[in-house]
Amino acid sequence: MKKFGLLIVLFAMALGSHAEGVGSSDSSEYLIKAGFIYNFAKLVEWPTIAFPHPDSPIVIGILGDDPFGATLDRTVADKKIEGRAFVIKRLKWSDLKNFKDCNILFVSSSEKDHIDSIVDAVKFLPILTIGDTPGFAARGGIMNFVVEDNKVRFEVNLDAAKHADLTISSRLLTLARIVQQVRADGRKPE
Amino acid sequence: MNLKNLSIKRKLVLITMLTSGVAVVLSSAGFLVYDLISFRHSLSEDLITQAEIIGYNSAAAMAFKDESAATGTLSALRAKDDIVSAVLYTRDGKMFAQYVHSNTPQQNLPAPIAERGYHFEGSYLEVFQDVTLNGEPVGTLFLQSDMRRWNARAERYAMIFFSFVLVSGFFALLVSSKLQKLISVPILHLEDTMRMVSTTKNYEVRATKFYSDEIGRLIDGFNTMLSEIQQRDMAFHQANDELKTRTMELEGEIVRRKEMEKELVDAKLSADDANRAKSAFLANMSHELRTPLNAIIGYSEMLEEETNELGKVENVKDLQKIQGAGKHLLALINDVLDLSKIEAGRMGLHLETFNITQMVEEIVNTLHPTILKNSNTIQVRLAGELGVMQADITKVRQILFNLLSNATKFTDHGTISLDVDRSTVEGQDWIRLRVADTGIGITPKQKAKLFQEFTQADVSIARKYGGTGLGLAISYRYAHLMKGRISVESEPGRGSVFTVDIPSRVMTEAADAAQAEKFKDLPSAADQTKSNVDTILVIDDDSVVRDLMSRFLTKLGFRVVAASSGEEGLRLAKQINPLVVTLDVIMPDCDGWAVLNKLKADPELADIPVIMVTVVDNETMGFKLGVSNYLLKPVDRDRLAILIQEHRVTRHSTVIAGMPSPASHRDASPETERVGSNRTAKRKKK
Repeated sequence: MKKFGLLIVLFAMALGSHAEGVGSSDSSEYLIKAGFIYNFAKLVEWPTIAFPHPDSPIVIGILGDDPFGATLDRTVADKKIEGRAFVIKRLKWSDLKNFKDCNILFVSSSEKDHIDSIVDAVKFLPILTIGDTPGFAARGGIMNFVVEDNKVRFEVNLDAAKHADLTISSRLLTLARIVQQVRADGRKPE
Repeated sequence: MNLKNLSIKRKLVLITMLTSGVAVVLSSAGFLVYDLISFRHSLSEDLITQAEIIGYNSAAAMAFKDESAATGTLSALRAKDDIVSAVLYTRDGKMFAQYVHSNTPQQNLPAPIAERGYHFEGSYLEVFQDVTLNGEPVGTLFLQSDMRRWNARAERYAMIFFSFVLVSGFFALLVSSKLQKLISVPILHLEDTMRMVSTTKNYEVRATKFYSDEIGRLIDGFNTMLSEIQQRDMAFHQANDELKTRTMELEGEIVRRKEMEKELVDAKLSADDANRAKSAFLANMSHELRTPLNAIIGYSEMLEEETNELGKVENVKDLQKIQGAGKHLLALINDVLDLSKIEAGRMGLHLETFNITQMVEEIVNTLHPTILKNSNTIQVRLAGELGVMQADITKVRQILFNLLSNATKFTDHGTISLDVDRSTVEGQDWIRLRVADTGIGITPKQKAKLFQEFTQADVSIARKYGGTGLGLAISYRYAHLMKGRISVESEPGRGSVFTVDIPSRVMTEAADAAQAEKFKDLPSAADQTKSNVDTILVIDDDSVVRDLMSRFLTKLGFRVVAASSGEEGLRLAKQINPLVVTLDVIMPDCDGWAVLNKLKADPELADIPVIMVTVVDNETMGFKLGVSNYLLKPVDRDRLAILIQEHRVTRHSTVIAGMPSPASHRDASPETERVGSNRTAKRKKK
């Protein structure tokens, strides 16, 4: 976290923007989001079957264009949660079958057209899907980043989480915006 | 008021109160302190727990930078009145969220500090606590409690404590006031009893014993002491009564004794009066007796001489009888007076230094006629050169005279021997006079009473030999007066030996010794050349005496000037500066003592020797005033002649060289004998 703080300060100095705020800089916003992802991992419980071994790493998949750059890698480097390290994979829409190896799947805003198919693909799998697109959670994603008042917030779809057999800590939920699935079939024409 | 002088009642109550008070206060305070400390500890524990909960609840908010959520979490503290403020800090020290209790004035919030845990800051309890998310620190929580719970508790405790102390003190007072009587009542009773005993002095009172504790024993002891004192008191009163009785008896006795003493003093005074009367009578009588005797002896001697010259031998014998009787009477009177003086202790010693041989020769010469009378021979043996001795020459002479007279008296056709020698016994020089005779001797029975007064060996002897019977008694006392002794050895029919031992230097009191010195000095001062060598001044108011003295002294070859009064005598003495003055005492106007004083006070006349010729028997007085010789009337003419000759020789030894000296008295004696002793003259004519 110290590093994280330090980075914020560095970036704030470099970009002349508000340290706390997201600002106009994507890097600053994704720095915060990277921290949030790491913290989500702390407050979400995966079922046992999600990991082949007790010390298997938490695999974070970044689907689509990577907005983080090296930021997320730096954030989770050398970190461990309950003995598990992090592994980051960068995925393409075409690697859909590889999604199943992930524990956390970050769906970049570049994949906003494939959201329904992605959600369908990982439905009932213990994968924490995190969207970066408005309406992602309502469409069946488990979590979604939103920016309100220049601050990064997040949404949680509890049904989706339930389907994925993921337990989200109440502490996380108190901070989250709970959203309902728009439709039972999960499909919504654009 | 001094605590120590409180009454025992108050002391007991005070002790109880203080003891219980101290116990209550200490235990309560101990409990209180313990409770407050533990309460404080639990307060901090509570606060830490609170911080943990808040931290836990706000961890996620912090992790996800959700200030409003964090603030909401913190605002849950509103229910906790004691929590004044709460602050969440990010990891880099920035304030993340803050909570301030609504009724707390805004204050400066402290900067986060590195030290975690609780601490007391002023009246606040503060906690710094890490906020962690899954073990990873995300920030720091600061909680501040105003400890109002603790303060309230302490206040409540103080109230409880004081009321507790008050109530327990009240009950302690109640109980101790009741219980102290157990101790104080017996002691106060004892004190009352003691005071009563000491004020009323009534020792019959007893103190009541309440309990059998130490005070009970004290009361027992006190009662025992009281009964002891009661007994003593009674005994003391008895003794006192007895003492009073005795004292009264003694006082009576003292009064009686005083009366007796007074009687005794009276008796003594009257006895003294009687004694003085007797002495006066004796002195008077001796004067009265001697004055006529003086005339009888003097004129009978004169008559005898004249009758002899006229050749009327038949009358001479009668005149001699008159003379003899007179002299005997005179001797008797002298002896009786001497003896009475000795008895009264009034006989003093007049010490002078004299030549022993000369003295012995004088006496032997005087007695020579008497010795010859009983056809006795005398042998005088002097052991070598005897020199001088210091003694009362008159008394030594009288002793020797008495012994020799006795020897001649009781010896017929025998030999009288006189031995004189000097010896040293026990470091002292003695002169021994030994008179032996071949007379009738003395029986042992007679010897026993020999030296007592009026005792002759036999009454018949007195008739046969005459004598007063006082001679030996006087000699004996004179010898003792001079610290000497006298003894006798005898065999009836074979003779007697009397031995007299007298110290060669008789010592008396210092005054007498000084007197002797004065006498020793006398000759050296007496070398007046202008002195009228042969003139003798006779001072006497009695014309008989003047007449007799003039005739007698003229016959001895002296010129005689007579004065009938003291004043005349003094005037004449200055005029003629005589060889010797003879002085009477009893004279009208200016008596002999006054004349003597004036003579001795005048430097021109002081050296003239004065011979007292008087009936007043007061030698001591005379010598004190400076007389040279003291003769009692009637005058022993032989003695007077010798004395005057001595003075002449002493004063003018150079002027009258060739004149008869006292040492060759025998050569001068024809004249003396002829004038002074008719008997001697008569013997010579035979």
